[in-house]
Amino acid sequence: MSTATNHPRWTRQLAGLVRKDLRLELRTKETVVAMVLFAVITLTIMQFGFGTRDDDLTRFTGGLMWVTLAFTAVLGVGRSYVAEREQRVLDGLLVSPIPRVVLLAAKAIAIVIYMAIVEVVVIPLVGIFFVKGPYWDSIGWIALVALLANVCIALSGTLFSGLALFTRARDLILPVLFLPALVPVVIAAAGATHAVAAGANDMADYRGYCLFLVAYAILFLLVCVATYDAVFDD
Amino acid sequence: MPDLLVSARGVVHAYGDRRAVSAVDLDVAAGERVAIAGPNGAGKSTLLRMVATLLRPRAGSLTVMGEELPKGARRARMGIGYLAHDPLAYLDLSPRQNLQLYADLYGVPDAADRIEELLDRVDLIARAEDPVRVLSRGMNQRLALARMLLHQPQLLLLDEPHASLDASGTALLDAELGAARADGRGAVIVTHEVERIAQVADRLVVMRAGRVVADEPVAGRGPAEIRARYEQVIA
Repeated sequence: MSTATNHPRWTRQLAGLVRKDLRLELRTKETVVAMVLFAVITLTIMQFGFGTRDDDLTRFTGGLMWVTLAFTAVLGVGRSYVAEREQRVLDGLLVSPIPRVVLLAAKAIAIVIYMAIVEVVVIPLVGIFFVKGPYWDSIGWIALVALLANVCIALSGTLFSGLALFTRARDLILPVLFLPALVPVVIAAAGATHAVAAGANDMADYRGYCLFLVAYAILFLLVCVATYDAVFDD
Repeated sequence: MPDLLVSARGVVHAYGDRRAVSAVDLDVAAGERVAIAGPNGAGKSTLLRMVATLLRPRAGSLTVMGEELPKGARRARMGIGYLAHDPLAYLDLSPRQNLQLYADLYGVPDAADRIEELLDRVDLIARAEDPVRVLSRGMNQRLALARMLLHQPQLLLLDEPHASLDASGTALLDAELGAARADGRGAVIVTHEVERIAQVADRLVVMRAGRVVADEPVAGRGPAEIRARYEQVIA
C-alpha cells in the first residue's frame, strides 16, 4: 500500500486552517466578542477621561483610535494559539506536512478578520465620541488604513505569539514583545487617520504613512518567512 | 517506499541537562512492527517523538521514510501516521470537521468519502457531528485512530494506543496493526502492556534510562514468556 497523498497544496492547507479558526470562533465566540467589548469599554473610558462632548477632540482622533486598537490587538493575538495549547492539538499540526509559514499565514488571516470586525464598531464609535467635523466622508480612507494596519498587526502578532507559545510566562512575554513592535504601526496608522479625518484631507501625509505601513508589513513578512520554521522547531 | 522506514544511529535527546535518550540505534523495516517497552522515564515517548519529527536529535543520525532528519522532515511527514496520548483533535469541532481539517493538511483526495469510510470503520458515524468535547475518552481514541489512518501512512507511530479503548476498539486497533504488516507498512508501538506485544508486534525493544537494553524478535513467544523476559531485562 502506498500513501494516498502526494505533496498537498499549501493553498488547501491554508484554507483548511483558516476555516478551522473561523469555525472555532463561530462556535465559541470567545475572542471577537471579548475584543469588541474591550475596545468599546476603552473608548467609553477615554471619552469620559478626556472631557465632555463639548470639547473638540478631533485632533486626537487617530491616536485615540489606534491606541485602543493596539491594546485590543494584544488581546486577540494573545488568544491565537489558545485552542492548540489548551486542547493539546499542536503536535497534530506539527506532525503534518505543512510549511510552518502556512501556519503563520492562517493565524494572521484570522487576526485580520477579527480586527476588521472590531473596527466595524470602533471606527464609527470614534466618530461619534470624539470628532466634530466631516468625519464620515473619510470613512473609506480610514478603512484602507485599518486594512494595512491589520496586516502589520497580524504578521508581527502571529510571529510573537508563536515565539511566546513555548515559554512559561507567555501571558507576560507576549505584550512585552508585541507592544513595542506595534509602536511604529500606531504612529503611522494614527498619522494617516489624522491626515484624512475631520476634513483635513492631507493626502501627501496620508500616502506617506500608508507606504510606511506597507514597508512594515513587507519587513515582517520577510522576518516571518525566515524564522517561522525555527519558531516551531523544538 | 524505502525498505528501511526508520534508521536511527546513536540518537541522543536531552531536556536541559537530563538525557532522555542516549545513543540509541533502531531500525524498522517495511512490514515490521516494533514494540518499545520500558519503565516510566525510559525515553520511549521521546524516541517516538523524534521519529515523528516532533523533536530534533541532539546527536546521531535519524532517517525516517528514507529522509534524513531534520532536513527532510517535511517529506518524511507525508508517510507518518502519529497516535499520541492526546487525540490531537479540536474539542469544539466535530469528528467530521477535525478529519476534514487533517484531510486538507495532508491533501487527501476524495476527502469526504475517505472521512465517511473511516468514521464508519471506527464506529463514530452516529456521533460525527457532535463536538469532540462531549465524546468519551474511548471515542476520542477512536477518532485519533481515524485521524492517524486518514492519509494512509506507511509508518504508524503509536504511543500507548490501547489506553482507554474498549474491547471492540482494541480489536479494531489490533486489526489495523495486522493489516499494516500485511500491506508492508511499518509500525512503532510504545506500550506498557507487555502481554499484548505478542499480538501486535514482531520485535520487542526494551528501553531503560534512555538506552536500548534489549532488541529481539517475539515470534513464537507467548505473553507470559514475553513478560518474564521483560522483567528479567529491566531488573
